[in-house]
Amino acid sequence: MRRLLLGLIALLYAASIPWYRPTGAEPALILGLPDWVAIALACYAAVALLNAWAWLLTDVSDSGPSVEEDPP
Amino acid sequence: MSLATLGLIALAVYLVALVVIAEIARRARRDMTPGDHFLAGRELGVFVLFLTLYATAYSGNSLLGYPAEAYRRGFSWIMATGFMMSIIVVFHALVPKLRPLSVVHGFVTPGDYVQQRFGREPGGRALRIAVAGLMTVTLTNFLLAQLIAMGHVTYQATGGRIPYEVGVVGLAAMILFYEVRGGMRAVAWTDAAQGILMLVGLSALLLWLLGGSGGLGAMTRQILELRPEAVQVPGARECSNWLSTIALMGLASVVYPQAIQRIYAARSGTSLKQALAIMTFMPLATTAVVTLIGLAAIPRFSHLGSLEAETVMPRLLELWAAAGPFYTLAATLVFIGALAAIMSTADSVLLSLGSVVAEDLLGRSRLDPGTTRLGKRISFGLIVVMVVVALAPRITLWRLIELKMELLIQCVPAFLLALHWNRLRAWPTCWGLMAGTALAVAGVLLGLPRIGGIHVGVLGLAVNLVLAVAGSLWRRDRLELAPPFS
Repeated sequence: MRRLLLGLIALLYAASIPWYRPTGAEPALILGLPDWVAIALACYAAVALLNAWAWLLTDVSDSGPSVEEDPP
Repeated sequence: MSLATLGLIALAVYLVALVVIAEIARRARRDMTPGDHFLAGRELGVFVLFLTLYATAYSGNSLLGYPAEAYRRGFSWIMATGFMMSIIVVFHALVPKLRPLSVVHGFVTPGDYVQQRFGREPGGRALRIAVAGLMTVTLTNFLLAQLIAMGHVTYQATGGRIPYEVGVVGLAAMILFYEVRGGMRAVAWTDAAQGILMLVGLSALLLWLLGGSGGLGAMTRQILELRPEAVQVPGARECSNWLSTIALMGLASVVYPQAIQRIYAARSGTSLKQALAIMTFMPLATTAVVTLIGLAAIPRFSHLGSLEAETVMPRLLELWAAAGPFYTLAATLVFIGALAAIMSTADSVLLSLGSVVAEDLLGRSRLDPGTTRLGKRISFGLIVVMVVVALAPRITLWRLIELKMELLIQCVPAFLLALHWNRLRAWPTCWGLMAGTALAVAGVLLGLPRIGGIHVGVLGLAVNLVLAVAGSLWRRDRLELAPPFS
């Protein structure tokens, strides 16, 4: 589940950048913001929710190392 | 009462409060070991941990540099919200692996992990020194940015009654005082109060600005009239820069020494993950807000130069204060909150610098109380040098941050890759780090900070990774590589 959330976060980051719009286009306004900015902000809000969820699912142990101490 | 008079009074009250906190923190200490001084005895709980992470991450750069950058670039600076959030995302690759090791081995500095991971193979010591050297350079750069910001804010908050130079020197001396007296406890406790002040103040300022503009839509239309390019869809180069900046800031910020030391300083893994879960929302409450504040400045001050844009935030606060007695008080609180946030970052950087130089560069033991005393002396020497440099700034705050990140990102393989790939060897990692750093420095010196919108530091990291991985695969059974320093 945690990996799925992190994968979704990566997709949201890709979607937040306005690659898909022609350069210099004059945007429509959504909630007072240019549409490409509103989409970016919506993506980042979704990232925040998914990332918080992913952190709550993460095991951060205090009991011992989770990698080998002596690499070969 | 004028903004300048109120500013002077609030500044005096704030400085007295710092002295009191430093004294309480000094009395709370258990011993003089580096673990107690630099990591507050490893007992930071969720609330203080979250606020110290917040106040450390959101600093003079966020409060002065980011609104200035939004003013210069326009709406595309919304990318800052994404890259600040990416830090908490990239922490997924670091925290679950590093935290347990830090508990078991009692790490104090980032170099302690490098020593534990690579210390028994040829090149381990060289890699630790190279990482610590790079971190020292970037931290001193970061400290310089905070000192410059402190001088500007003090000047503006007191209506010029405290000159820039006096602000830099006086507040640097105060930081040195409470850091030396109270260590990480003083830093974390002041951070907590500073974080709350900053959050409330910024939100109030944004509401006032939007109210004065007639709302977000009216503000956007005004900007469209004055500077259409600030609203229009950015080009391919700016989109590449957007992605590159997310990579640069997300990867480099997780290897900040002060961020790594907060992973060590948490009371428990559960406290740490809960603090990070809350932190992930802060870019929406802070970075997006300061971006909108910078944008709201465009219709108000339409022709500021690049260096003048650094003063966008203080200029807005002056306007706010002129709106009436209540607003004067509110603007004063934001000024002090901004100053506090800047100082909170500077003190964290200074604390990390002292420990990294004493332990990682000079090789002193993390169990020896003498290391704590040496770290304090190093802090003193470094801040004196940086204050002298800050008295004649010649570069924008955002450029200072970028320079720092271009170098810091070269430490990523020594932590993120090392934690996840056991075959990584010390010498190839050291070679990669130096090649990546050389490329980043050359790009900056040649005036090529970006190639096709991609930061030269990110390109340096790609070279760095290729060398580290290829060298480790090629030499996995032959560890005796020629030392890069020969």
